[in-house]
This record gives sequence, structure tokens and C-alpha cells, in this order.
Amino acid sequence: MSEPTGVIHDIGYQRYTGPRLGRGHVFGALYLHGVRTAFGLGRSAKAKIFPWLVVGIVLMVAASVTAISSQLGEQIITYAQFADAMSWLVIFFVAVAAPELVSRDLRSGVLPLYFSRPLPHADYPLAKLLALVTALFLLLGAPQLLMFLGAAFSAAGMGAVWDELLDLLPGLLYAGLWAVVFASVGLLIASFTGKRAFAAGGIVAVFLMTTPIVGILSVLPSHTANQLSGIASPPTLVQGVGIWTMHDLLITDPDGPGVDLGPFGPLYALAAVALVAGCVALLLARYEKVAAR
Amino acid sequence: MSTVSWITVRGLFGRRRFLLLLPLPVLLVGLAVLSRGLGVDPTDWGPPVLVGLGLAVVLPVVALIVGTGVLGAEIDDGTVVHVLTTPLPRWQIVLPKLAVAAGVTAVSVAVPLFAAGLLADSVRLGVALAVAATIGALAYTALFVAASLLTRRPVLLGLVYVLIWEGLLSNVVSGTRVLSIQHYVIALADRLAPTNLLGTTVSVSVAMAMTTLVIVATTLLSIDRLRSFSVAGETS
Repeated sequence: MSEPTGVIHDIGYQRYTGPRLGRGHVFGALYLHGVRTAFGLGRSAKAKIFPWLVVGIVLMVAASVTAISSQLGEQIITYAQFADAMSWLVIFFVAVAAPELVSRDLRSGVLPLYFSRPLPHADYPLAKLLALVTALFLLLGAPQLLMFLGAAFSAAGMGAVWDELLDLLPGLLYAGLWAVVFASVGLLIASFTGKRAFAAGGIVAVFLMTTPIVGILSVLPSHTANQLSGIASPPTLVQGVGIWTMHDLLITDPDGPGVDLGPFGPLYALAAVALVAGCVALLLARYEKVAAR
Repeated sequence: MSTVSWITVRGLFGRRRFLLLLPLPVLLVGLAVLSRGLGVDPTDWGPPVLVGLGLAVVLPVVALIVGTGVLGAEIDDGTVVHVLTTPLPRWQIVLPKLAVAAGVTAVSVAVPLFAAGLLADSVRLGVALAVAATIGALAYTALFVAASLLTRRPVLLGLVYVLIWEGLLSNVVSGTRVLSIQHYVIALADRLAPTNLLGTTVSVSVAMAMTTLVIVATTLLSIDRLRSFSVAGETS
């Protein structure tokens, strides 16, 4: 047997010797990218149309509310009520953003590339979820801030501004609750299909088809069923939690057709927590399965 | 049955995700049966189930998924080229696809609406709702097929129409109801079976004229768009 004659040439490959960023940086990058994706930042003009249409409508409503309030000299809608009034737009925004966040990656099959990084399987969906929560919170919080600024500049004295601020903070918390519930439900539905069109349709179908169930339950002869009816649908569930925790800020007209919760306020809060926890658990389970493929 | 419609039917039913359309009609009938069984007054449960769920959610959402699915899905994955390269006039591609979409939508919406209308009031209301829903299915699918030829994101454009125009704006600015298919359907159903369960501000003659106009105009638009259709790559 002769000696091997081949030569290994040194063609200049080098090892990477710079700093290696760990899990936290991967998570942070995914999160930031997710928030930008939700608003179409860093992408073509076509991807910006629908998110910014929603943002534009929401800000326009807030601006006109501010203008009317300062003309009349009284608050026509509280900060917390603003989120309720915008519920359909929130649903539409989730239907736009959630498929962009997860369905594209599923369709183009790039998940193995993500999971070849030092990124645990749970981190990918959690970063996307956090990004969607942040985007929704910005969508609902920014108009409230606009309303606050308008009210603060037309308020008489620092005391009035302080009162406005005390109204604004629960409103922002309430917007956060909306964001968490809607993001977890929407992202779970979107993660089941790689087609953005079907994901968007599915999200809207789920949110809209639960609303009439509430309508039916609230006219049933049983009084308990009426008081529990709000649990059947995400928007009314969130509203129920809001009414339980900050009654005066959501129901300003005591004679109006308010939602009667009876003694079930804590149950609404429990149901909201269970809904979010269930959706997140299913989302994590879904990504265990996707990642294993 | 032409080959195009055969391909379309297989494209719709050959995938498991078509089963996702089932829960909506089932929910509609289920709620009607539940309310009737518990003895709730039809004037209480009729409007939320028949209009709130049936005509405002089930009809447009099913029409949206089916209407954008018959042509939009083929455009999305590029297989529409195979149909376009055959020597068929464009109307022979659009019309069978539209017929399949409207037929599927009509069957999956009219049947549960007939059952719900029967439980709410009478056979007459059931038939009226079924007929009106069939006409509405034709109008909605014609609109959404045209949308899938005008833009690469037809579902979102359709959702803007269903959620923001019909859902949000028609309830605030009642003048926009003149341009809302949902209210044409309500007006037609109310004309066929006058009850106190359905009510709208749009007159029947306007509804008839506008529905015909929507169907004819969007179908012609679809044929024209497909005539000068350019196959583009995936957009971001």
C-alpha cells in the first residue's frame, strides 16, 4: 500500500473568535424583530398597509374624542372604555399581525434554522407572544396617551392633570389585559397553519362566533347563566374582569344597559387567567411538536 | 360539470382544512336548538342568532374563506398558470369557479339558516332566510373572487370590508348601509317573510338593484382582471 499523496491546502478558513451571544440575546433579537414585523417595519410598503390602517383609525378616533372632550369640557369616554370601543379593530389587528409572526416561518420551513441556535423550544413562541402583546399594548396604549395629553393641556391646574393621570393608569392596565388575552388566543390559532390567509380567517371566525353565544346566554331564563354569559367570549370576558376590578371607570352611566356580573367577578378573573394559561400551554406543546419534526 | 369546476371542487374539499368551516353552521343550529329548547322568547334570541351570528358572521366569513380559496389559493401557490395556459376564454374560468364558490357557501349557510328560521318563527321565515342567504352568498363570493384578483392579500382586504365597513361603520353611520351586502340580505329576507325579528333601513328595491349590480360588476371585473393577469412572485 502506497503512502497517500493528497495535500490539504490551507485556504484561509478561520474560527470565529468574537464574543458568542447567548440565549438572552437570541430571545431579545426575536422579540424586537417580532414587534417590528407586527407593524411591518423594515418590510415593503405593502406589508405596512393593513397594520398602519388600524393604527391610523385608532389614533384618528382618539384625536377626535380628545377634540370633542375639550370643546364640551367633559370626558365623553374614559380611558378604559376606549379599549372596549376598539374591540373589532383589535381583532382585525390580531388577524393581520399573528399570521405574519408565526405562519410565515411555518410555511417557509425555517424553524430548524432557529432551533439550531442556543434557543430552547419554548423561547421561540414566547418571544413571538411577547412581541404580539407589546404590539397590541402599543396599539391601545398610544391613543390613550394621546387622549391624556389632550386632556392634560386643556386641564385647569396640576390637580386636574393628576386626576387625569389616575384615570389613565388603570386604562393602560386594562389595555394590557386586552393585549395579553387577545395575543395568546390569536397566536395559538395562527400557529396551527402555515397559510396566512387561513390563519387570518380562523382568528376572526373564532373571535366573532363566540360573541353571539354571549347574546344567547344573556337572554336565557336562568339568572346565573345571564351573569356568567360574558365568560363565553374573549372580549366580554376581558370586559367582565375590568368591570369587576374598576367598575366606575367602565360603567359611567349608572342607568345604562350595564353588564350585571352578580357575585361572579372573581370567576371572570379566574377564567381569563385559565384562558391565557391554556393558550400558552397549547402554544408551547405545538412548538414541541413542530420542533421535533 | 366542466373540468375547471371539478378541479375547484377538489381543491376545496380535498384538504382537511375545509372541515374548519363546519363549526360555524353547527354553532348556528346548536344555539337555535338550545334557545328553543329552553323556551326563550324568539324576539329575544332571534336577532342575535339569525342576524348577529348567521347573516353578520357565518355568511361573510364562510364566503370569504371559500371565495378567496377558489382562485386565491391557486394564485398563491402558482398552479393557476396551468389553468391560464389552456386555450379557455377567461369567462369559462371565472364563472365555473364562482359557481362552485357560491354553491358551497350557499349550501353551508342556507341549510343552518333555514333550520334556525324554522325554529324561530315559521317555515316561511326559514325559506326566506335560505333564499336571501343564497343570493347573499353569490354577491359575497363574487366580491371576494374579484378581491383575490385585485390584491395579493385578499383575505385581509375582505376582512376590512366585513369587519370595519359592515361591522363597525354600518352601526355608527347608518348611511353606509346602502353599500353593505349584509343589509341587502336582511332587507330581502324581511320582504319575503315579514316578521319583527329582522329589520333594516335599506329598502327592498335598493337592495335588489344593488345586489344585482354588485354581482354583475364584480364578475365582469374578475373576468377583465384575469384577462390581463400577471404572474408575480411571492411578495413580502
